[in-house]
Amino acid sequence: MYVELHAHSAFSFLDGASTPMELAAAAAAQGYPAFALTDHDGVWGSMEFAHACKGFGVRPITGAELTVALPVDGTEVPLYGGESSRRHLTLLVEDEAGYRNLCRLLTAAHAHTRDNTTRSQAQPWATFEQVEEHAEGLVCLSGCARDGAVAGAFERGDTAAGERLARRLRDAFGRDRFRLELQRPYWRRDRARNRWLSLLAERLDAPCVATGNVHSHDRRRAPLQDALVAIGLCETLEESEPRRRGNSTSALTSPGAMAARFAEYPEAVAESERLAERLRFDLTQQLGYRYPGSEDPGADAELARICNHHLGERYSGNARLLEAQWRLEEELAIIRELGLSGFFLLHRDLLELAREVAAEVRGPESARGVLPPGRGRGSSVSSIVCYLTGLSHVDPVEAGLFSGRFLNEETSSMPDIDLDFPRDIREVLIPRAHERYGRDRSALVAAFPTYRPKGAIRDLGKALGLPPGEIDRVAKTLSFYGGAEEIERDLVAALGPQRAAEPRWRALLPLATEIMGLPRHSSQHPGGMVISTRPLIDVCPVVPAAMVGRQTVQWDKDSCADAGFLKIDLLGLGMLSAVERCVEEVGRARGERLDLSRVPLDDEEVFESIRAAETTGVFQIESRAQMQMLPRTQPRDLDDLIVQVALVRPGPIQGGAVHPYIERRKLRREDPDYKIPYEHPLLEPVLEETLGTIVFQEQVIEVAMALAGFSSSEAEGLRRAMSRKRSEEAIEEHRRRFLAGAAANGVSEEVAERVWDKIKGFSGFGFPKAHSAAFGLLAYQSAWLRIHYGPEFLCSLLNEQPMGFYPPDSLVHEAQRRGIRVAPVDVNRSKALCHVESPQEEEVRGGLQVRIGLGYVKGVKREEMEALVAERGRGGPYKGIAELASRAGAGLPSLELLAWAGALDGVPADSGSERREALWRVGVTGAGRVAGRGTQLALPMEPPEPPRLEPLGEWGRLIADYRSTGMTVEKHPMKLLRPGLDPRLARTSDLERIEHGSGVEVAGMVTARQRPETANGVTFLLLEDERGSVNLVVPPPVYERHRPLVRTAPLIRARGRLERREGTVNVLVSDLAPLQGRPPTAADGTDPRPLPGGREQAVAELRAVAPAGHCFGGRG
Amino acid sequence: MPGLRRLYAPQRVAVRTDPQGAPTLVEGTAVEAVREEWLVEDRWWTPQPLRRHYFELATADGRSLTVFRGAGEQRWYRQRA
Repeated sequence: MYVELHAHSAFSFLDGASTPMELAAAAAAQGYPAFALTDHDGVWGSMEFAHACKGFGVRPITGAELTVALPVDGTEVPLYGGESSRRHLTLLVEDEAGYRNLCRLLTAAHAHTRDNTTRSQAQPWATFEQVEEHAEGLVCLSGCARDGAVAGAFERGDTAAGERLARRLRDAFGRDRFRLELQRPYWRRDRARNRWLSLLAERLDAPCVATGNVHSHDRRRAPLQDALVAIGLCETLEESEPRRRGNSTSALTSPGAMAARFAEYPEAVAESERLAERLRFDLTQQLGYRYPGSEDPGADAELARICNHHLGERYSGNARLLEAQWRLEEELAIIRELGLSGFFLLHRDLLELAREVAAEVRGPESARGVLPPGRGRGSSVSSIVCYLTGLSHVDPVEAGLFSGRFLNEETSSMPDIDLDFPRDIREVLIPRAHERYGRDRSALVAAFPTYRPKGAIRDLGKALGLPPGEIDRVAKTLSFYGGAEEIERDLVAALGPQRAAEPRWRALLPLATEIMGLPRHSSQHPGGMVISTRPLIDVCPVVPAAMVGRQTVQWDKDSCADAGFLKIDLLGLGMLSAVERCVEEVGRARGERLDLSRVPLDDEEVFESIRAAETTGVFQIESRAQMQMLPRTQPRDLDDLIVQVALVRPGPIQGGAVHPYIERRKLRREDPDYKIPYEHPLLEPVLEETLGTIVFQEQVIEVAMALAGFSSSEAEGLRRAMSRKRSEEAIEEHRRRFLAGAAANGVSEEVAERVWDKIKGFSGFGFPKAHSAAFGLLAYQSAWLRIHYGPEFLCSLLNEQPMGFYPPDSLVHEAQRRGIRVAPVDVNRSKALCHVESPQEEEVRGGLQVRIGLGYVKGVKREEMEALVAERGRGGPYKGIAELASRAGAGLPSLELLAWAGALDGVPADSGSERREALWRVGVTGAGRVAGRGTQLALPMEPPEPPRLEPLGEWGRLIADYRSTGMTVEKHPMKLLRPGLDPRLARTSDLERIEHGSGVEVAGMVTARQRPETANGVTFLLLEDERGSVNLVVPPPVYERHRPLVRTAPLIRARGRLERREGTVNVLVSDLAPLQGRPPTAADGTDPRPLPGGREQAVAELRAVAPAGHCFGGRG
Repeated sequence: MPGLRRLYAPQRVAVRTDPQGAPTLVEGTAVEAVREEWLVEDRWWTPQPLRRHYFELATADGRSLTVFRGAGEQRWYRQRA
């Protein structure tokens, strides 16, 4: 019987059209007893494949198709030719030594792939000598028909070289572990090639083996395979013809069909089965991975010592000391039982390293010095051991956190400890951790960006040779998610039905659906790191990452978890960085040293602003959906905020928790004696804090335990079955047990079914309470800073972009409406980053204002900005433009950009000049022309007085601001447009006074677009005008009518019905139109200057430069 | 286009095949051996997709011939190689 020993999945990156799961399922369906995955130069998909195969009863064989650089003949010292000398070898793992060698070879093949200056991924290859050195435990097949080390020589007419190579390979691997590989891709020279190979096999006394070189699990994927090859080569399908497979026979087919394909070589078919029998290495069992500390006999005692020491410190005199002691004992016992003491010690060690890094990064004098280096997030925050070892900053006893989700006796994989760090600390910590644990023993986890609609259309459109303009138009209207029908609708909307019906566009549609979710390339996980006691390159290949000093294993987080790797998540959290920056800015601007851990947690002013949904910029509760909810839930303390953070998630939304929670809170507010209607009295203790609804992830566990008597590990099994690799069979099994358990507890079937539906709706897509507690605290702290240190908070948000829900322009407008003054970018005042300064006039709130940094001017090089600021520090303000150019050495292009942005308005000093004048001066000085390899400095000779130039005017400055910095600190564009607009259009501030249910029409800039998957096709637009923002609700029929407008238009006008509910205002849209307003004229009294290019052109100009609103696919 | 003539255009030939679909007789001449057999499936993204099953044959009169049949077609063509 034929067994497949050569197959590619999508993890051959653009040379394989099926996922490992699809291949495994198809192999099982076709009746293969065993199956080998041999992706190009990697085992990226091998762990997933191995587990999938086992699930289907197919024995997985691990291997890879390695690219080898062949030595140039006739040279003493091995010399490797260019790309033309690269060939493939199929390597299959026989035992542990073989797997180790495969990992080492793959690591070596990738070692040089980022040596270029841009660190872009180059083709991996190993040398022939390296292969010879690592032959032990591997079986080598001579390679594929076209590019194989041996068959490729035949294809190129150099049979003598092919024979020499085959002999070397036979000598390296031995007769027993070398095979001549016969393939039948239905190409023109198949028979001649296979005849030559079989004769060669006789001469070498080595057997032949038949392989299929599978590239997809089904014939119908052959077109996608063609398209992927074209994408990989950056060519069209026509151009890539020589490198494509040419027909669909590389799809997986049955063992019988494969045997028939090799009817002339029955021995080669039989050999595939014999060989497969020998290849018994099991990736899921034989990795031999251990994490540092796992074998340390003293780890248990050491962990207990540390915890008990801190227990005394933290709980001394606390009424909860006994409870804490009891919990600690219980957790330590579980940790001992699971052999995880070393795991916790290792995390603590890493945190100590982070402390050193933090001290270094922040500097000894920094106001941030009092802050911990990082914070825990995720379920680990519920653990008292994590709290006592410093891995979490939330007291789980005080906060009533349940640790069953994090740690239980029957846990089958490593618990997850996620640590959040400010971005700057994390940047230094990651390479430092590599140094601490050894570069060969630590690496980041890989991530595989997968195809989404936009990328799919762009890549496939290019491969199909479609016009770039059309591709761009279609791609811009596509949402982040979306199936075939949605893409088709967008296509028709963007190009019209006739063009969309053209054969190439028609061909693109099925491909776009199939390509979705396939990995495009490998990348690095944001912060997951694996650490090992033995060299990692013996357990998984390690490859250089795009960032200098970083390297990744070839597995993603799921494969690493399946491998049992200890993974530490060092995550960069933008808000944590922003909060730290804010503390530092407060120290710098006011000389105050803030200690965030001592901030009062019951500041009424803070909660008032939260209840009024004045939360722009606040962590987690600034989103449109959260702002809609806050006036209705009315959070009063940190506990409420912790629930609030968890509430707007797909789990609680789909589990039907949101509305009952809001309703019950309201009833409770109105009547403190209101009795919560629990589904069953057994649920009261576990759902009390969330008023009878399931909001937190661990409540799924607790409900299953309380109602159906599940053990904690059974309940954890249920949670897992519902999350990552969702399996309907497993969920059904849990349902059966849940209903039986509930019946045994005397719960009626009807109630049990209802509770089950809620659990299933929740499906694990929610925050654990511990995670919410960590996030809720950060939300409170950021709200507190926003209220009490407004300018510094805005400044830190602007400096941490991109982050959060709003673009910088909206953050600035919102802050200005609160009376915070924001000053424009100025070459004599700005630093590279934004900063807070004391203005001359003291009427500004707090006497402080935010000065926009030079970094916001697009296109100016960072070094030039820094040099400009440094020189100003040395020699004082710039008095003239020529002086500026000669002192700071900024080139002409940069000075022009700065002039456009208004940064040179005050130069020469006291001239009161405007942007056009500054531009003229820059041009005349001939400042800093690029000459040779450097910038030729200008002579410090001030130009003559400029001619009388018409100033840009308010409108012109607005356009220039948006074009050069993406934001304006002057008047809101709607304020400028207002006089020319239909007076019936309501301003957002008018909406307060309009009755519920009235017809209303509004206009403004779209600052955010959202199409949550949980909202049944409803799209939300956040519309901003000069007075504030309003939420537009666009129902599906309106969306369908105005698809491109909803997706992309920056300025719109919307008609609809005003809806007011418990303090929130929405406009339910019935019609949309692009904003056609008339820009200001002298008659409007706003700006006396004429508009350049006429009115219509001016509005069109604004449309082109207005900041794009943020788009969110699934965020609530 | 007037004035242009396609070179090497495939010509119709009469072919008899065995039950597996391999040619045994081309234009009345017996086929001695099938030297190569290959498949071309291409241009699926255009209005004229290409799907051809090719055979390179040695005939009894000592000639080498390349013939093909389009997918789903019974007609055979001779291709000048």
